[in-house]
Amino acid sequence: MENGFFGFLEKNSIFIVMFIVLVVWLGIFLFLLNTDKRLKAIEKELDEVIQKRKEK
Amino acid sequence: MIWKTILFVLMSIVIISGITFPIVPQPSQWYEFPVIAGLEEKAKIIFFHVPTAWLSVLAFLMSMIYGIKYLRNNNLDDDSKSSAALQLGMMFTILATVTGSIWAKFTWGSFWHWDPRETSIFILLLIYGSLLALRSAIENEDKRARLSAVYSIIAFLTVPFFIFIMPRIMVGLHPGSLELDPNTGKIIQGTSPVIDFKMSPNMRVVFFMSLTAFTILYWWMWKVRYKAIIIKENLTKK
Repeated sequence: MENGFFGFLEKNSIFIVMFIVLVVWLGIFLFLLNTDKRLKAIEKELDEVIQKRKEK
Repeated sequence: MIWKTILFVLMSIVIISGITFPIVPQPSQWYEFPVIAGLEEKAKIIFFHVPTAWLSVLAFLMSMIYGIKYLRNNNLDDDSKSSAALQLGMMFTILATVTGSIWAKFTWGSFWHWDPRETSIFILLLIYGSLLALRSAIENEDKRARLSAVYSIIAFLTVPFFIFIMPRIMVGLHPGSLELDPNTGKIIQGTSPVIDFKMSPNMRVVFFMSLTAFTILYWWMWKVRYKAIIIKENLTKK
């Protein structure tokens, strides 16, 4: 196959396995990051509701 | 807490054994995996690629189950659970596609071959991508929940065909497919090492540990996600 990076991966295929594990964890990490963003938005909204109630 | 401990232990074992256990021509130790011609070291990818595909099926199944529950009870919490499963299902389908195409590049020579299994996962991405688009296009939550529930039921009817039947009745490159006999040109049951892929007992143990660990992880992620959706909706109502 190609030389360079692809050639290196061809000869050392354990790195392909590790790269795939990395891709899986990256996907899960991004999903958790998105969930965290949603939770922060909820927290902010809750704080605003509590603040409004206090003002009343 | 016990589930989280089990998840930690199982996932640690899977990652360590899945990466470090050697692949040798004649395994003589419990930790050695046999060589599979055409895959060699890359055979270990199965411990991480297949669970993503399994979780996408599980997530779409749960999306349908909670869709049915919503239609029966009209409880919007069920729609939130269905939606969370749908989002996770999409993520794991994308992961299965990406990891599969990287594996394909180094085993079959290019990232995409329109092999029956690749084609079927692509169609599933389109079907469930449309459902996500449909959900985001409807503002009325009852209407959105009802339409989404019906769509997820109809969409899941195609899943067994695309995942379990189509790849097994067509000529393809994935394990379990049919292949063309090079001498007679007739379609036969796959006999080449990759298509007739059989796991050794120790590989099977790691593989099922991986499936269990990823399923627990999925369950955990799904619970956090649907709780976030439900709290957000309750907050918006108030």
